[in-house]
Amino acid sequence: MTTFIRKLVYGFIGLLGGLAAWPVAEVLLQVQSSFPSFLVFTVSVGAVFGAIMGAFLGSSEGIMLSIKPRIVPGIVTGAAVGVVGGIVGFLIGQGVLLFISEIVFHSNRSLRSIGIPISRVVSWSFLGMFIGMVEGVRALSWAKIKVGLLGGIIGGVLGSILLEFLRTWYPDFIFARLAGLMVFGMLIGAFYGLFEKRMSQGILRLLNGKLKGKEYLLVQRKIKIGSSAKMDIQLSGYRDIAENHALLMRKRDEVTIKCSDVKSRVLVNEMKIDEHVLRFEDVVQIGSAKFLFYYK
Amino acid sequence: MTLKKILLPWMLIVLFTASCFADSIRISQVDSSSLLLNQNIKLYISATDDSGEPLTELEQSDFKIFESINQKLFKTVPEITGFRSGVNYTDGVNFLLLIDNSESMYWTLEGKKTEIEADRRITIARQAVKSFLSSMKNPNDNVGIALYNSYFTLLSKPSNELKTVITSLDSIKRPTGDAIYSEIYGSVKLAVKEFDLFKGRKAIIILSDGVNNPSYSHTNKINQQFGAKNVSYQESIQELQLEGISLYVVYFGMKSDKKDRHLKTIAEQSGGMTFDAYNQNQLNRVYPQIMDQIQKEYIITYKATMEPADRKYVKVDYSDGSQKRSVTRYYISSSVFGNPIKGFNPLQLILVLLAICLLWLLSRMRFEKQRKKPSIEVLNAGAGKLSTQVLTLGGEQTVIGSSPSADMTIAGLPAVEENHATVVFNPKDNTYALKGSGKMMVNNQVVSTKVLEPGDLINIDGMTMIFDEGSETENNK
Repeated sequence: MTTFIRKLVYGFIGLLGGLAAWPVAEVLLQVQSSFPSFLVFTVSVGAVFGAIMGAFLGSSEGIMLSIKPRIVPGIVTGAAVGVVGGIVGFLIGQGVLLFISEIVFHSNRSLRSIGIPISRVVSWSFLGMFIGMVEGVRALSWAKIKVGLLGGIIGGVLGSILLEFLRTWYPDFIFARLAGLMVFGMLIGAFYGLFEKRMSQGILRLLNGKLKGKEYLLVQRKIKIGSSAKMDIQLSGYRDIAENHALLMRKRDEVTIKCSDVKSRVLVNEMKIDEHVLRFEDVVQIGSAKFLFYYK
Repeated sequence: MTLKKILLPWMLIVLFTASCFADSIRISQVDSSSLLLNQNIKLYISATDDSGEPLTELEQSDFKIFESINQKLFKTVPEITGFRSGVNYTDGVNFLLLIDNSESMYWTLEGKKTEIEADRRITIARQAVKSFLSSMKNPNDNVGIALYNSYFTLLSKPSNELKTVITSLDSIKRPTGDAIYSEIYGSVKLAVKEFDLFKGRKAIIILSDGVNNPSYSHTNKINQQFGAKNVSYQESIQELQLEGISLYVVYFGMKSDKKDRHLKTIAEQSGGMTFDAYNQNQLNRVYPQIMDQIQKEYIITYKATMEPADRKYVKVDYSDGSQKRSVTRYYISSSVFGNPIKGFNPLQLILVLLAICLLWLLSRMRFEKQRKKPSIEVLNAGAGKLSTQVLTLGGEQTVIGSSPSADMTIAGLPAVEENHATVVFNPKDNTYALKGSGKMMVNNQVVSTKVLEPGDLINIDGMTMIFDEGSETENNK
């Protein structure tokens, strides 16, 4: 999968998240009157939105790397982070509303036309930010969390602005909220993909075997390669690969590869290495798998 | 028959007495600004006796609050969280005094033209307002002054700097030309905006000596503030209700003068009242009377019901044991997420399944192209121009070079020879070897001959290609 396709897939998964979240949200809105207060209702809806969209985006890494055992844990982590994001996001949004209604807008018209949309955008943006961090939390990678923070918040801000305007411009179009949520999810995914590419230190492209053509963005500081499902880059279906075969390390502007243990064999440009700083278009061989290291 | 004859006059007397001495209540302001924060709605209730004097001894138990989303089925609100009386003394009131400055205000009270300043209606009005402002002592009150004729003019923004406000009254000037008409409804709309920076109780007191008389109707010229249209009184009501501001109307002039009938409607719909002043003494009393009514209002705070609706109706029932009164107003209500869609069908939940199915399908997809036949795929052409991006290795020999007859022609790279490299198929062991006369590298190692392995990176003068043995060959091995 090329990085371009990767961005598209992220966007598409986000869009599916919006598609799944919409009917559930509508059901909650239908039973709004059974909630004890607006605050409980707001937090509940935020949590449900977050759980669904987080679950969808949490599955993306496993899907894109074709590592099926990673999909379900990704969904669970995504849902959990999404719940927190939804609750925190909408509580912060409520706090912003409190602040601007107390300090800034004392006119109902201004509050409704500016204050409430701003607080909604803040709520959705925080939700987007948390959803964006799902993969970073799963991988326990600060670098990936940073990517998620940026991608999620920018996608969230733009998506929520569109969501607001769609509702305002087309109040009679009953699917405006559905369209808005899908665009919201899509933008979070797409911006995550965009920042993932921008903040990566390079790309490893698999040159052979059943995963030939797959590209791995080097975002994390440490990336483990091996046949185990716990590895960041899991190579199944290739010969002579140990469970934990090699380690990639990002240091400043350099990416270094080294063998994870003495038994494992890593070749760079057909030369056996123990540790090696990768250069543009180096060919890395791990077992029967060959990678090209490059950057754009 | 006889009993009816006896009872009827008595019943009429009782009804008449009740109406004469009946208390009245109004919801003078609905403050919904805390609705989304803590679900609270604040009602300003004005209760007066038959002579218009505020009732000051009422208790929370005298009131019941109900809400409805359709004005038909009213539900008791979950909780009354606060009941306070006379709070407008301590919290203060925000006023805007809107004074008629049309041509007729420069006539006498009797409606005659005059050059004597003291006899003019505007002079009497100015004195009444000055007297009212001078009597105000509460530093929490804010007062602003605005004028209207064909245009709305703000003389001083609402402020507690009363001296400045009083001084601004001296800048009132007689209108000339197209400015002599009365844009009442449009001016009320603009006056509402002057409260944007204020919280709490807000009221506009308009002094009018006539009817709405828009300049555009008379002159056919586009009004700079209101354009080429007449603002309707319904627009004024909408604006006042949206902002929860009440309008008090002071009709000033002769009893026989024509009054604007819609101003009474605006006052009633916005929670205000109308007053008549036919002379200076009456006018002097009206402003303090309005002030007194507002200051003695009750504030009832309650938790709103959870039903989603754009507009909710609130009904206040008042009972002191002997008489019952009911009053209804609405406020604009909407939650952070908006209202549920109409006609929601549970079948729409299928979309959740659809999204899950699509995600599952996505997880089954292979995004990498797997070529069946052995091939050489160009990754990076560099400065070169190629005849093809993917070269399928079909024959025994496949030539790569600058020659137009080569299987893959590379142009634009001077170092590339006509037959730079040849990929030779060995049917015995089903392998491909790269041979060539020109400089080339495989996996960044300079080679002249090399048996290719899947994934080998071939570099010819900066142009990189990958050798792929193809899935058919891979399966045959």
